[in-house]
Amino acid sequence: MDGGFSSDEGCYSSDCESLDGLENDEPGLNWSSSKGPSTRVIRKESLLAEQKGVLQRVMDVLSLREHHARALLIHYRWDREKLLSVFGEKGKPYLFNDAGIPDVDEQGKDSSATSSIEMCDICMEEVSGSEATRMDCGHCFCNNCWTEHFIVKINEGQSRRIRCMAHKCNATCDDSIVSTLVRRRHPDLAEKFDRFLLESYIEDNKMVKWCPSAPHCGNAICVDEDEFCEVECSCGLQFCFSCLSEAHSPCSCSMWDLWTKKCRDESETVNWITVHTKPCPKCHKPVEKNGGCNLVSCICGQAFCWLCGGATGRDHTWSSIAGHSCGRYKEDQEKKAERAKRDLYRYMHYHSRYKGHLDSFKLENKLRETIQEKVSISENNSTLRDFSWVTNGLYRLFRSRRVLLYSYPFAFYMFGEELFKDEMTDEDRELKQHLFEDQQQQLEQSIERLSKFLEEPFDQYDEKKVMDIRMRVIDLSVTTDDLCRKMYQCIENDLLGSLQLGTHIIAPYLSKGIERASELVTCLSTQVDGSEKFLSSDFSKADDSGCSSRKRARKESHLFDLNMPAEVTDRKCGF
Amino acid sequence: MIDFSRVQKELQECIKDIEASGIKVTPKGDNLSRLVGTIPGPIGTPYEGGTFQLDITLPDAYPFQPPKVQFTTKVWHPNISSQSGAICLDILKDQWSPALTLKTALLSVQALLSAPEPNDPQDAVVAQQYHRDYQTFVNTARYWTEAFAKTSSLGVEEKVKKLVEMGFPEPIVRSTLEAVGGDENLALEKLCSS
Repeated sequence: MDGGFSSDEGCYSSDCESLDGLENDEPGLNWSSSKGPSTRVIRKESLLAEQKGVLQRVMDVLSLREHHARALLIHYRWDREKLLSVFGEKGKPYLFNDAGIPDVDEQGKDSSATSSIEMCDICMEEVSGSEATRMDCGHCFCNNCWTEHFIVKINEGQSRRIRCMAHKCNATCDDSIVSTLVRRRHPDLAEKFDRFLLESYIEDNKMVKWCPSAPHCGNAICVDEDEFCEVECSCGLQFCFSCLSEAHSPCSCSMWDLWTKKCRDESETVNWITVHTKPCPKCHKPVEKNGGCNLVSCICGQAFCWLCGGATGRDHTWSSIAGHSCGRYKEDQEKKAERAKRDLYRYMHYHSRYKGHLDSFKLENKLRETIQEKVSISENNSTLRDFSWVTNGLYRLFRSRRVLLYSYPFAFYMFGEELFKDEMTDEDRELKQHLFEDQQQQLEQSIERLSKFLEEPFDQYDEKKVMDIRMRVIDLSVTTDDLCRKMYQCIENDLLGSLQLGTHIIAPYLSKGIERASELVTCLSTQVDGSEKFLSSDFSKADDSGCSSRKRARKESHLFDLNMPAEVTDRKCGF
Repeated sequence: MIDFSRVQKELQECIKDIEASGIKVTPKGDNLSRLVGTIPGPIGTPYEGGTFQLDITLPDAYPFQPPKVQFTTKVWHPNISSQSGAICLDILKDQWSPALTLKTALLSVQALLSAPEPNDPQDAVVAQQYHRDYQTFVNTARYWTEAFAKTSSLGVEEKVKKLVEMGFPEPIVRSTLEAVGGDENLALEKLCSS
């Protein structure tokens, strides 16, 4: 790990030196040099630096001024690759014209040196040259009119692209002129304008999203390559970058969306419904029996027998229902009633597993404190000094419990009829389901055993017994990690990977847990592509804490960090 | 705040070349924010010979926001609502530029009369007719021009004559026509139902 570290630093400084060159335009080079995290936090303070970094690169490549580069990037939604490929394919004139940039390099710089009196075509007044401004497109109007125009456009929410006032002129106004002129009359509106431009980097950019924390932490997260990933913001919130809800892999985003909706609609009532109601054989709505005999009628008009759930006529006595005998077998009705019942039971099965693991997950979170206590007692009383296996085991437990938790909604949709009815034959489905459930079961067993060992009162045991527990916890951690990885592999390759009709993409499995977005402190010479996002101050911080993981650096105060790389200690022990 | 000095200048400019353009803009009251525009129907179109009136309202930020322009004379045209007179024209919406004036805006409206854009319609019924049965469209447009865009009393007399020929008593025809603002069809409808 230490070796990797210094090479990181080396790369960083070399990047700095070649900042204005094009040598490091090849992301491939950087990727191979280190496995830096692919997600970053952009704080309010670093947003400017971040944006400037991208601007600078485009300005360098195309030798442009800043506001032109910004106009281009906003037009291309901050996708620098796309912009450069259009430049390569269609050339500069097309690129510029498309984004409303006048193709001038020399013109426009002599704006103030024009005649001393200008006629403004907007207010139809004559003004002195110093009171007028000429844009890059060559159109000149008086400052008052420009200012009015900018104010109207900013208030209309069009800050990102304010066009020149001349009719049919497609040129985008120089944002520094906009800001300067507006500031003279409405400083607060100028602030707003500057902020709009700044935030365009987040709002118009598909690789950058605001952290969904509420109340908002003010951060945004930037991913380098894969938008289907899970991240942790520096505020501590973990979320799915793609759909911005909680991290839910191995569930796909659409599965998770369906599941949360279903749970909202049903979970509270499901229990009551199954105890107190029976599905109507006609409309399958649950019907409550509110007294009377065994003849029940649904609001849809269908009468049915409470005992067997079968459809009946409406005439009845206390002991019998006309035209109905529970003994008589009616295949059709039975099938329908069965289906409704089966659907509900199916949902309940998955929901109760999901809920069960969710509860365990919450309870195990409390384990943090008790275990911390036990560790400190043991550290004082025992000759054994290293208790990192306990915390590592605990992280492994949290992480794998999370995987197991979300594997139930996944299975509900994967093997249900709602999403993939036509994707596979019944036999195929059954086969795949067995395969998956076997894996799920193994994972479940291994997690429960891990949980059991971690709950042992090892602070009261003698050393031999502690060593024994230690071996088991380490063993189980490795097995559990393996099982999780296998489950993801199975889902990605055999289940979701084989879909013909729809695409469901899940975030990849990370043994270390959800990646915490790295933080850029503040530096104008930000590197935007590639992976060298670290500043030396970041590293020194990591060095100080004596921790080999860059991710851990910021969380020293937290003893238990879900994202601490477990494999460091996992692997120490013989694997 | 509307730039009234500019509006003043625009009005003067309009008066200067009224001979050439035929486009007239006059204030509605003493407030310059409400104006009435008049454009002649372009020659060689079904609107030829008609004089069309438009209601113009200037927004507070004029000329940095487009004027609101609407026909008050009924027009049969795919880009103009036959009900409300609303106009579908880009320069009156997002393509407005402060460098445009009321006169240039009205000239564009006039150009729209010569060159309809049935693929971007305001009035779907008219646009459909334009596509499916162009001749009927031309006839209807011409008829509407005759009926609504000609201020001469001859137009009204013709309508009265027509309705009287259908068998309605003249005084009632006159009062009904007046009540519906000269709309022959509406008058007929009203006469039939009463």
